Amino acid sequence: PRPDVQPVPPGTHLLFAQSGKIEYIPMEGSGMKISEAKTALHLPEKVVIGVAYDCVERMVYWTDITTPAIGKADLQGGEPVQLIRSDLGSPEGIAIDHLGRTMYWTDSMKDRIEVASLDGAQRRVLIDTDLVNPRAIITDPNNGYLYWADWNRNAPKIEVAHMDGTSRRVLAKDDLGLPNGLTYDPQTSLLCWADAGTHKVECMNPNQNNRRQVMEGIQYPFGMASHGKNLFYTDWRRNAVIVIDSYAGRETEEFQPQKRSRLYGIATAYAQCPSGQNYCSVN
Amino acid sequence: DATVGTPSDCKPCPCPEGATCAVVPKTREVVCTSCPTGTTGKRCELCDDGYFGDPLGEDGPVRACRACKCNDNIDPNAVGNCDRETGQCLKCIYNTDGFFCDRCKEGFYGNALATNPADKCKPCSCSPYGTVDRQTSCLQVTGQCQCLPHVTNRDCSACEPGFYNLQSGKGCQRCDCNPIGSTN
Repeated sequence: PRPDVQPVPPGTHLLFAQSGKIEYIPMEGSGMKISEAKTALHLPEKVVIGVAYDCVERMVYWTDITTPAIGKADLQGGEPVQLIRSDLGSPEGIAIDHLGRTMYWTDSMKDRIEVASLDGAQRRVLIDTDLVNPRAIITDPNNGYLYWADWNRNAPKIEVAHMDGTSRRVLAKDDLGLPNGLTYDPQTSLLCWADAGTHKVECMNPNQNNRRQVMEGIQYPFGMASHGKNLFYTDWRRNAVIVIDSYAGRETEEFQPQKRSRLYGIATAYAQCPSGQNYCSVN
Repeated sequence: DATVGTPSDCKPCPCPEGATCAVVPKTREVVCTSCPTGTTGKRCELCDDGYFGDPLGEDGPVRACRACKCNDNIDPNAVGNCDRETGQCLKCIYNTDGFFCDRCKEGFYGNALATNPADKCKPCSCSPYGTVDRQTSCLQVTGQCQCLPHVTNRDCSACEPGFYNLQSGKGCQRCDCNPIGSTN
C-alpha cells in the first residue's frame, strides 16, 4: 500500500467529489496537470455532493447526504471535522464567503438556503420560499451577492440575492432545463451555468442581462467551476472533469479518474484569495 | 509501511480482487481506493449513490448493487434517491410515498404505479364541512373521504337526497318537509 493521501501542495487546484473521496488536480496556467491528480481526502462512508474552498485557511468544505452533514478539513493535512449534523435533509450545494467568514448551503429536501459561520455556529435560514430543487450555490463576497440555481422541472431558474437574503430576484428562467452547475468568476464578473436539460453552457454578466451561449451539445453536467478563460464541469455520463475554453466555446481537455463512478461538486481552490474588501466593512 | 525493513512490511490490500488501497497517514487506517464499479466504502462494502445492495454480504446474503427501485417515481437528476443498503426510496415524487414509492402520500389517492404521472396521485380535497374531524386524508385507491352522517360524494361535498345544511359541520339534517305540501 502507498500512503497517497498527502497534504495538498501550494498552488491553485481543482477540487471535486467522487464516491467517498475529494480529489484534487493541480492547475498549470488555467489548464489541468492531470498526471498529478490525487486524493485529498478519503471519506469512505459518505456520499459527498457539494465542495467549496476557503482560501484564507486553506480548508475544504463539503456537504454529505448520507449522514447528512456538513464537514471541513485542512488541505495541508488534517482530520475531517463535522460542523453541522442536525436538521439537514439533503444538503447539496455549498459556498464560502471568505471575507465574511460564513458558509451558505442549499438543502433540496427542506427546500431552503441556510447560512452559518465557518465553525457551524450562528446558523440561520436565509431563504425558504419558492425553492423546489435548489442545488448549486455561489458567492461573490466582493460585491456581497449570492447566486443559486433551482432545477425544478416545472420552473427552473437562476436567482440572485444579497448575502443577507434581501433583494432576491430571478436572473434567468426561460430556456432552462436542469441547471445543475453554476460558477462566478470575480475577474470577469461572469456568471456561468451548465444545464443537463438543454445540454448547454451559458454565461451572463448579472448586472447587464447579456445572456449568451458558450457551448451546446454537452452531455450531463453536475458541478461547475471556473479559472481564467476556462470553465470546468463534472459530467455524470462521462464520469469525468471536462475543460471548456469559454472564449473559443469548445472542449479542450478531459480528466477521467481511474475509478468509474459519478463525479459531483467541483470548486477552484485558489492559491491566493482574490483581492477585494468585504462589502460589509465599507458601510 | 515499506520502510520498516521486515518481511511483513507490505500486506495485501483488504479489498475485493483488483482493488488498490492506501493508508491514511494520520489514522493509519487502510482504505480501498478503486472499488469495483458500483461499490465504494472502506472495504468496498457499500453501494454508490443511486444504487442499493450489500455487495460483501455483511448483513446477510450477498446482494450485488442495483439501481434504486422506486417505480419510476424518483427523478434521475436527484441525488440520494434510495438508501444504499436497504433500497428504501427517499425522494419519491408525483405525490407518492412508501418504501418503493408504491403508494400515494397522505392526503392523495389514486394509483402510484400508473404510467402517466398525471394519472398517479390526486389530492383528496375532502370538503372540510362534510368530513369527519375535517380530515384531509382519504382511502388510497377510491379516494373516498370519511363523511359525516347523511353526507355523500367522494369528497363529502353534498347532502344525501332529502337532507340539507352541509355547512353545519355536523352532518346533514333531514329536510322534514310536509309530504302533503311538497312537490316530491
